[in-house]
Amino acid sequence: MRSAQRFFTRWQNWVGLFLVLIFVVAAIAAPLLSPPDPKHPGPMKIIGRATLLQPQPPSQAAPLGTLSNQASVYHALIWGSRSALLFGLSVTLISAIIGTIIGMISAYFGGFVNSFFMRLTDALLSFPIIAAIVLVQQLISIALYNGGIRIYTQGSVLVLPSGDFLFDPKDFPGMMNFLLDLDPVLVALLLLSWMPYARIMNTMVLRIKKTEYVEAARAVGARHFRIIFKHLLPNAITPTFVLAARDIAGMVILQATFVFIGFGKGAPWATVLVYGRDWIYSQGGIFTYWWVFLPVTLALIAFGIGWNLIGDGLNDALNPRSQ
Amino acid sequence: MLSFLRHLGKRFLSILLTLFITTALLYATVMLTPAETRAELYMPKNFSPRMTEAQYQAMLERNIERYHLNAPYPVQYFYWITNLVQGSWGYSPTLQEDVLTAITRRAPATVEVILFSILVYLPLGLISGVIAGSKQHKFSDRSFRTSAFIATSLPPFILAILMMAFFYIDLHWFAPERISSAYSIFIKSDEFRQVTGFLTIDGLLNGRPDISLDALRHLAMPVITLAVAQWAILGRITRASLVEELHLDYVTAARARGVPESRIVWTHMFRNVVSPAFSSSMISAASLLTGVFVVEIIFNYPGVSFIALRSMNNIPDAPAALGFAIFSVFMVLLLMAILDLIQYGMDPRIREKA
Repeated sequence: MRSAQRFFTRWQNWVGLFLVLIFVVAAIAAPLLSPPDPKHPGPMKIIGRATLLQPQPPSQAAPLGTLSNQASVYHALIWGSRSALLFGLSVTLISAIIGTIIGMISAYFGGFVNSFFMRLTDALLSFPIIAAIVLVQQLISIALYNGGIRIYTQGSVLVLPSGDFLFDPKDFPGMMNFLLDLDPVLVALLLLSWMPYARIMNTMVLRIKKTEYVEAARAVGARHFRIIFKHLLPNAITPTFVLAARDIAGMVILQATFVFIGFGKGAPWATVLVYGRDWIYSQGGIFTYWWVFLPVTLALIAFGIGWNLIGDGLNDALNPRSQ
Repeated sequence: MLSFLRHLGKRFLSILLTLFITTALLYATVMLTPAETRAELYMPKNFSPRMTEAQYQAMLERNIERYHLNAPYPVQYFYWITNLVQGSWGYSPTLQEDVLTAITRRAPATVEVILFSILVYLPLGLISGVIAGSKQHKFSDRSFRTSAFIATSLPPFILAILMMAFFYIDLHWFAPERISSAYSIFIKSDEFRQVTGFLTIDGLLNGRPDISLDALRHLAMPVITLAVAQWAILGRITRASLVEELHLDYVTAARARGVPESRIVWTHMFRNVVSPAFSSSMISAASLLTGVFVVEIIFNYPGVSFIALRSMNNIPDAPAALGFAIFSVFMVLLLMAILDLIQYGMDPRIREKA
């Protein structure tokens, strides 16, 4: 309770909560704030004629202007906050759960188990995400190629063993469609984000498991499962909250970065920047077409600042010594 | 000296172990692919792309037989790792050359970016963190904390876009890519001796400081983009560990003895806060390398990231992807080892522990 009090007395934490709340509201109310195009649902809503080829300034139909493909920036901004929150929360939650379980169980059993898992954790910490993305993408490509799928810029084709072609993705086998839609960035981040959680949980549990109340629980014959989840987990979990809050921002920023350099899928905010990139460096200075990059840039920065403020606030509230 | 050697040996063993674990995991993922794909990993260096389909298939069959690609995992891993150590990393169909050659040719450019960003962020992060921590709650501390906070929340690629707009398009101070086109032909010619592969140093060695300056002008944006993020992380950790030290007995004792405050901070405490800072830098070495490849791609800088870029094109090319992954892990471990040695030199406590 003391730490909750400490958390709510600092104005920075209120700013963080407020920023995050804006994105949560935008994500939940997205269909109301910017109704999707019934024919083409998705974060890119085409306004007007696509033959215009130039970003159009803000108008009634597109409150924040359009990109060069005439997609509404406002629409992508609103629906982008939904996908950013979903991506950040789900990747962080899954990697936190994996890391917590690995760190906790290896520390609880100790000895050989612990040194094996912590060696593995340290080894994976030296594995850069970008190499994992490349590998995952290559595994996908090889599986697709061996399944007869050929990918061209205009779309993909399934070559049947008989020599016939299938052009409609609806006719492809389900596995091939799954692989075509699979985001290598998502897979790589899920595989390589759990290590910090494992390390933190490991040190915490190693410290706690020697305390008297755990010894007492063991003495009265509590099972491993009960000791781990009833006694160790609640007492060791708090430091992971700090990491998780910062990770939600970190994951979204990483995803946006990789989408921007062409390594990922999804992430409407970064997609807007991909379309807008060439219009930033226009002759009249960078603010001639300000709407192609400023709204999403500010959204990304605000998203990062919001979650990082919450993370710092949690850190200060949970270990007051660091203030 | 003996303790240094022991420390070095320990480090070396731990690096070998990490390399073993990561390569074993890498080969385990390769095992998901059919044997024909794995056979491509053993294509010879002088492989000629002008082969008929039948000849190519026959070659794959031969490789499957020769390297036991239908045998259990440990056997295959053994053959693969021996081949790797001997320097045959396979032939890449998309790069149309031997993977190891392709990597080593581009490696100096990448290493140059890493080197310069470390030279920028390491001293800056340590010094600003120590200053901020020792002037807790004063103006310099507040301004450091605010700017470091903004730097950690700001996505690096957005910083890159803004720098391109201001420093390249508007002011013409810096430029993307690696060297101006006026120099690029001269550099590839025989007149220009490639000694280190780093254009900044080779320019000086060839008596052409203008080339070094031009290389620096092109390095500036990638290095600043990388250094800003890393500086913020390092500075915040240095500051936090300095603040924790402020109330320890040895600091109070030194103050009571009348040791000047600056001497307490910079000689007594500095060595103690170096260790946590370096440990954090070592842990984030992998993310630094990811950052290096990302800024290379954004600024069109011709480094090893080119191989990653080509591997993303939906064309199966297992040798290039694997080579890229191994090179990345190797670079991260090298970086960690270098940071470890610097830390060893600066923190006397580690020397006694070893």
